[in-house]
Amino acid sequence: MDSLLVSQNTDGGWPYQRGGPSWTEPTAYALLALMAQGSVVEPVERGLRWLNAAQRPDGGWPPQPAVRQSAWVTAVAALLGPAALGRDAYRRGIAWIEQQTGEETSFLSRVRQFLTGDSRTDPGWPWFPGNSAWVTPTALSMLALRKAARCADAPQARARLDLGAAYLLAHACSDGGWNHGAARALDYDARSYPETTGVALLALSGKDSPRIRRACKWARAQLSECRTSEAESWLRLGLLAHGQLPPNTPLPARTPRTIQNTALARLASAAAAGRNPFLE
Amino acid sequence: MSGLNRREFLTGSVAGLALAGCSGCCGRRPAASREALVSVLRRPDYGQELYGELRRVLAEHRLHVRGKRVLLKPNLVEFEPDSPINTNPLLVHAALEAFRELGAEVMIGEGPGHRRNTLDMAEAAGYFETIPRFEELFTDLNLDRVTEVRLARPHSRLKSIYLAQPAVSCDLLVSMPKMKTHHWVGATLSMKNLFGTVPGGVYGWPKNILHWAGIPACIADLYQILPRHFAIVDGIVGMEGNGPIQGRPKRSGVVVSGRDLAAVDASCCQIMSIDPRRIEYLTLAVGDVEELVSSIHQIGESVKSVRTRFDLLPEWSGIRLS
Repeated sequence: MDSLLVSQNTDGGWPYQRGGPSWTEPTAYALLALMAQGSVVEPVERGLRWLNAAQRPDGGWPPQPAVRQSAWVTAVAALLGPAALGRDAYRRGIAWIEQQTGEETSFLSRVRQFLTGDSRTDPGWPWFPGNSAWVTPTALSMLALRKAARCADAPQARARLDLGAAYLLAHACSDGGWNHGAARALDYDARSYPETTGVALLALSGKDSPRIRRACKWARAQLSECRTSEAESWLRLGLLAHGQLPPNTPLPARTPRTIQNTALARLASAAAAGRNPFLE
Repeated sequence: MSGLNRREFLTGSVAGLALAGCSGCCGRRPAASREALVSVLRRPDYGQELYGELRRVLAEHRLHVRGKRVLLKPNLVEFEPDSPINTNPLLVHAALEAFRELGAEVMIGEGPGHRRNTLDMAEAAGYFETIPRFEELFTDLNLDRVTEVRLARPHSRLKSIYLAQPAVSCDLLVSMPKMKTHHWVGATLSMKNLFGTVPGGVYGWPKNILHWAGIPACIADLYQILPRHFAIVDGIVGMEGNGPIQGRPKRSGVVVSGRDLAAVDASCCQIMSIDPRRIEYLTLAVGDVEELVSSIHQIGESVKSVRTRFDLLPEWSGIRLS
């Protein structure tokens, strides 16, 4: 039996771990993976019903229905596109994403930065409203907005994409890749992570700069040292997006330990086979 | 045995005294409402003797956990098996066995703050090898059920917070941190370890909501709202310098335990040659840290006999115990 299908909850959503409560993130990734597979209909419909029911009045999605706040997972849900989510639900989701910025770029924070002489930063996206921008939610929101910009004339989305790219490039670590988004702590260099480097590279698809080329080099060096399936998947997706995945790269060796990592591994395989749902 | 004399207290920092002066204005736990029993076990390594010695320590604390649900909460931070960054799995296994012998139903849970793949990190840290059927016993607190908890008198800006439901609903939460210095709060011990009960699945990696709401204040809040707890601090090999990730190993050869996390952390600070009065979250949590320290009834080794000078970043030189 397909491991994704057997782990679907009776409510239509997917948990992170089989038997757990349904969450938005694994549900959206499972749906993306099953839709890329193309042959599954009924579980996808049930999953989409769960997702549509979970959408909040403000257009965003909560991490799970018990949470009374839209958050970063809205970007993952929006990756499913208007055909799957429905045009209105999709439009409201994208509008919610467009409104979000890291709190450090709020008006008050800008005033504080001006007064203290701190350097300004381009607006990325936070995990949770009211917090700072970080690499992963910024990259995921950029991927969602790229899709929106392809679907319709969306000048606001394009402007945010440029700012998002600037945010990512400004937050690269000194070793070449990205970690969660703090390249330095108390003046000490912090190290990159493979999974965040992969998702950042994927979000920067279509762009080129010395910093991106350096990140690709770092990512290629990490391919054989990954300790998680998630890192393997994001690195592959990121390198494929820049045509930098070496042709003789061994198949992923790590076993996915969560539902969203199972789905990500399939999405990376689909991308390697020429169909990348993140960039279509 | 506090390890601090009257002169040391009188020469404490102005900031520390000012904060202590605010005692009583927030949701603090009265430090001297009861004697806080803290045991300091000297252990040079993670050998098999740890199992018997930890059983003895728990017996000294007279924990009544028969039939109760106990959640062991170690500290998993990074994929670096050769660095003392994570709580040693042997100590966690020893605690698991000891609580089981007391009749408890024991689970293990953690929700790391930076890296998402908790089980992979646990595997890299040796948990799968050391603890039989680890995967069945473990729950990722970042990705499990969540419950919203309201803060009646918060120290931080938070009015409510989502927490991992297993941490809220268990009968006893056992905080099992590594004894480490910390670049944002000075020292990370059993209270700071409670950050792992805040679900990354909701707030992300890192759990930045805690930074915006004030890290020391959030530590004090979590200490307040997760009251049924116990601490077992892994100080056999800790971390000094640029902790909690990039520091150096520091062998202090102790396991510090007790029911009151603040009392345990204050004792750990003294062992690390850190002045507990200058740790902001301790002051926020208990008000008068001097009173807390004087309420501690130390058993096992004396703090003085195991005191080890943990190197501090220059930015934290002001918390050094004089």
